[in-house]
Amino acid sequence: MDDIETSLARIRSAWTAGGSALDHCPADWRGAVSGEAAECAMIALAGHASAVMFRPAPPSPIEPRPLLPALALPTVPEAVRSRLRRVLTRKAAASIERPLIELVAARGFAMHPADWMPAARDDWAPDLYAPWLDWISGDDTSEPASDLTIETYDEWSWSERRVELAALRRRDPGAARAIIAAKAAAEPAERRLKLIELLEANLSAEDGEFLASLANDRSDRVRALASAYLARIGWQTDADALAAELAEMLEVQKVGLIKRRTQLSIKRLKTKPQSTRRSELFKLVSFNALVRALQLDELQLFETVPTGTEEGISDFVLMVAMTGSDQARRQLLDRMVEEAAFPFAHARPLGPRLSPEERRSILPSALMRDDDLFGTTLILMGGTLGEAPLSALEKSPGYAALESAAASIAGADDKTRPAIEATLETALTRIAWLADASAAAEIIRRVTSRGLSPADPRLELLHINAALIQETKL
Amino acid sequence: MALTRDAIEAMAPDQSALAAASKLLQPAKWPSRFKQGGLIWGECQGSGANPYRVVADIDDPGSKCTCPSRKFPCKHALALMWMFVEDEAAFRTGEIPDWVTEWMGRRRKASAPAKSREPKSLEAARVAESEAAPDPAAEARRQAASEKRAKETRSSVLAATDDLEMWITDQLRTGLTAFLADLAGRCRRIAARLVDAKAGALASRLDELPSRLLVLPAEERIDAAIQELGKLVLLVRAWRAAPDDPELRREVIASETREDVLTDPDAPRVVSVWEVRGERIATRRDGLVSQTTWLLNLAPAPQRFAMLLDFFPASAGRRTSAFVAGERFSAELVFYPSRSPLRAVIATRGDPDKVPAAWPLAPDDPFAAHVEDKLTAPWRIETPLLLPSGRVCADGAGRAWWRSTGGQWAPLGEAPPVLSLGAAIEHAAGIWNGARLTLIAARTNWGRLSFDG
Repeated sequence: MDDIETSLARIRSAWTAGGSALDHCPADWRGAVSGEAAECAMIALAGHASAVMFRPAPPSPIEPRPLLPALALPTVPEAVRSRLRRVLTRKAAASIERPLIELVAARGFAMHPADWMPAARDDWAPDLYAPWLDWISGDDTSEPASDLTIETYDEWSWSERRVELAALRRRDPGAARAIIAAKAAAEPAERRLKLIELLEANLSAEDGEFLASLANDRSDRVRALASAYLARIGWQTDADALAAELAEMLEVQKVGLIKRRTQLSIKRLKTKPQSTRRSELFKLVSFNALVRALQLDELQLFETVPTGTEEGISDFVLMVAMTGSDQARRQLLDRMVEEAAFPFAHARPLGPRLSPEERRSILPSALMRDDDLFGTTLILMGGTLGEAPLSALEKSPGYAALESAAASIAGADDKTRPAIEATLETALTRIAWLADASAAAEIIRRVTSRGLSPADPRLELLHINAALIQETKL
Repeated sequence: MALTRDAIEAMAPDQSALAAASKLLQPAKWPSRFKQGGLIWGECQGSGANPYRVVADIDDPGSKCTCPSRKFPCKHALALMWMFVEDEAAFRTGEIPDWVTEWMGRRRKASAPAKSREPKSLEAARVAESEAAPDPAAEARRQAASEKRAKETRSSVLAATDDLEMWITDQLRTGLTAFLADLAGRCRRIAARLVDAKAGALASRLDELPSRLLVLPAEERIDAAIQELGKLVLLVRAWRAAPDDPELRREVIASETREDVLTDPDAPRVVSVWEVRGERIATRRDGLVSQTTWLLNLAPAPQRFAMLLDFFPASAGRRTSAFVAGERFSAELVFYPSRSPLRAVIATRGDPDKVPAAWPLAPDDPFAAHVEDKLTAPWRIETPLLLPSGRVCADGAGRAWWRSTGGQWAPLGEAPPVLSLGAAIEHAAGIWNGARLTLIAARTNWGRLSFDG
């Protein structure tokens, strides 16, 4: 064998540079390697010998990665997987990825890893995917045996630790804060920010001291987040002069004939620079500071919805969403829901601050007020998807638009068809995120009875929704 | 809109399409026909190795077929609609399969086709063309001409194989480093000469050689080139020794037709249950798209793998799969005669029931099958392998390897899906070319995993 190997190595060298390799022909081959095409005979033998004699091997031993961990929830039913794969490989997949994964998780299922796995940067992925996030980023240390404490903090992988801290914050806000306060400083800025974000749940005055200690943090984003949280719990963090300047650009008036109520009026200003300045001030001033500058209390300011320019109202709602207390943002949302004439789309910035319970409670009224093909409701619902019963959906202007589009598509001409198709596509996609499983099935039945093919790709998400049902154990 | 005979006549591109469709009306050509909510679909065993998938929307007329025909609708779609109009009851109500839904998603609503002036009629298409009475003299002339052509081809190819050996000798004389530096140009020139000499199959192999070598890292190309050129020498010398050998003729000149294989009494036939392991669609340098479907015999039998191979012009558009990966069906396959039969066509397809669940056991040394193949047909480029349990690993440079539990290694040709690095592989199937393993499918602790995208 060694002789052949040596011969093959010499033959290879000769042919690599060019020239005859016959001098290196192994003795056993000489009978077959002769005549005019001797070189050809030798390459046939040499090629064959190297193909059967040698097998590739890695230069050094390679250890396989740990197995991808199993998740706490069952994998989606096999029958749904091909639809999931299909919608995730479409051109518009980027826009539906997140709600799809959240809907699947909300129904108590995990994706099959052959169909979808989070990327290392997908920290929006529902908590159940934490073990996969750790595995993908190579942070797949074995599971820690003990509870998460300041002492065991470093034993936990990043994603698992974050999920555990979030759960601890809901159970025992002080204990979670103590761990974050002790450990955040040693984390890089991006992770520090993620740790501080965990304090949003159960945010209270007790967090004030720690948040105030972040005023000199190295990261702008950490400082801004801490400052916003401090504002929410009533700490004064900004200069009164700015709040006073903003207050001067606003008006507070009394409205109503019998019951006089306070209303904030954000009127059009005379010049563009003035408007730009007011917009900047809404970002710089906390809601609390503005209330003080206006010499009101929070509840007074929300006796009715604000009035004025679209841009001004947007800036104000965003300010409340960022720095308003829980009570303030709740009051504002309630007023927006009640006031039928108020453009409901302005409520969107308040969505991220709603708890799942608040989302469920507001769902029916949000659907009734939403005249943007379920768009505003969808943003308010965040990750709380797939729970709207048909009775609530039917009362939405979006549902009426869907029905109308489904009914008119068959008779539409080339001029009207594109708009109807667009309405149908948007409405069917959005309602698929909101509907509960039985509502999804009924909507499919209704629109196909209007002439839409059951294989119409616009129904894919509704089909997925309808099929994501946990089997009831008898 | 209800589908009618008039509507089919109106949408047919010409009378000849209807005549061709009329020949596909026998139920035996359609292993499956289904309907659901305004859609009808089925599979038609056409002239290719892979069956054609045909779907038609009868409410909002439109159709799609996986055949390469440029006519629209093609004869398969016309036949499907025609059969539906004549006997709707023969279509079973079924769940809309994924490939139909995918077509609906990609479907573009075309404007109404321009009406041809040529009158078209289903009735006329039904009328069998009268066969001219056989003329023994003409038949003898054809036979003689055919034999003359075959003799000329053999003589021309013989000269071409001498040229090829001389060309290989030249490459060795001037050095493989120089050969690799001008790989595409040199291979293209010799391939062109082989085409002129009617050695089409050999020419295609030379044309594809650069892509097989250049996919490897530079340090492996010399050894791979020696193996590739060595296989060419073995092939042409074997053909010169037995020019009528069907396998060698296929490798050097051209392949038999599907009909030739089906009527060949020497072609091996295997009736079994087959699982679709995967599919590979590749565009070749000659402008053809090859569609390869790998089938695994689930019954205990020595004939473990089958390969359905079709070629289409790239201009025929995007290829869609003929099967769903993992699909199982019973069928009689007829294999192209060979020392180690692999390429096959489907003769008949049966009921997909009665299917055993388990995959067959893989040999402990899967690469022994490759060595075996090399001994019986040393010119063969690839060997399908059944692989035992193992893992996919990545080395420090990010290159992926398959490692069997028994400690055998094989470098993978393509980056595997991320999941494969975290999955315990119970069994797998792959294609081994001596340098790289291309995994097709695996059964893992996460279920079936496809590697063909």
